[in-house]
Amino acid sequence: MATLIVMDHTGDTRHHFDASDAKALAKAERRFQELTGRGFTAAVRTAPGEVTRVRAFDPKADETLFFPRLVGG
Amino acid sequence: MTALTRLFLSMRRTGPARRRQLALRELYKRFLDESGSAARGLRLLRDWLSPQQRAQFDRTGYFEVVGSHTGKIYRVHYGATTNVHEVDEIGRPKVGWCFVPEGYLVPGDVMLAQKIALETDELRVLKLANEFPVRSPRRVRFW
Repeated sequence: MATLIVMDHTGDTRHHFDASDAKALAKAERRFQELTGRGFTAAVRTAPGEVTRVRAFDPKADETLFFPRLVGG
Repeated sequence: MTALTRLFLSMRRTGPARRRQLALRELYKRFLDESGSAARGLRLLRDWLSPQQRAQFDRTGYFEVVGSHTGKIYRVHYGATTNVHEVDEIGRPKVGWCFVPEGYLVPGDVMLAQKIALETDELRVLKLANEFPVRSPRRVRFW
């Protein structure tokens, strides 16, 4: 199962999906676009502790992490 | 009086005692919810740190990241605001950078977002961050 992890006030919310199911994959991609459209940054792990930002949905990623737009504090 | 009887009697409380009981229950529930969120944030952070960063964080309460463009070292302390310090080549804090994700997030989430941002898009982050002064730990002279 692949997972979209969205940071929020509860810590995070996880959306699991079966990457081999075309319908589930399409839904995950729509969620990706909806979140990045709202300014969330998406990132995937390439190695332990190594992270890459992604601008397009990666159907092969085990976990995609989203965090809200950054602002000066 | 058995524990069951005491529980039954406490459920029959009315008036101020009942209100106090409900308020306490709500307070306790809120505390558990909040500590649950904070714990989830920390678990997520630890999952996404490198083994070296995780060990450093467990030992010191902060971890260091290397800026993606300049190679500068930033120390991310536990917290959700004014917690990122740029350090010099011998590890002394030089300047603080304040930037956070929008909305309310628990400290673990904030720190993870800061790590990813500095490691992947440092210059953009520094443009939007607010700079603040930090003090080096005081040197003690013995002579």
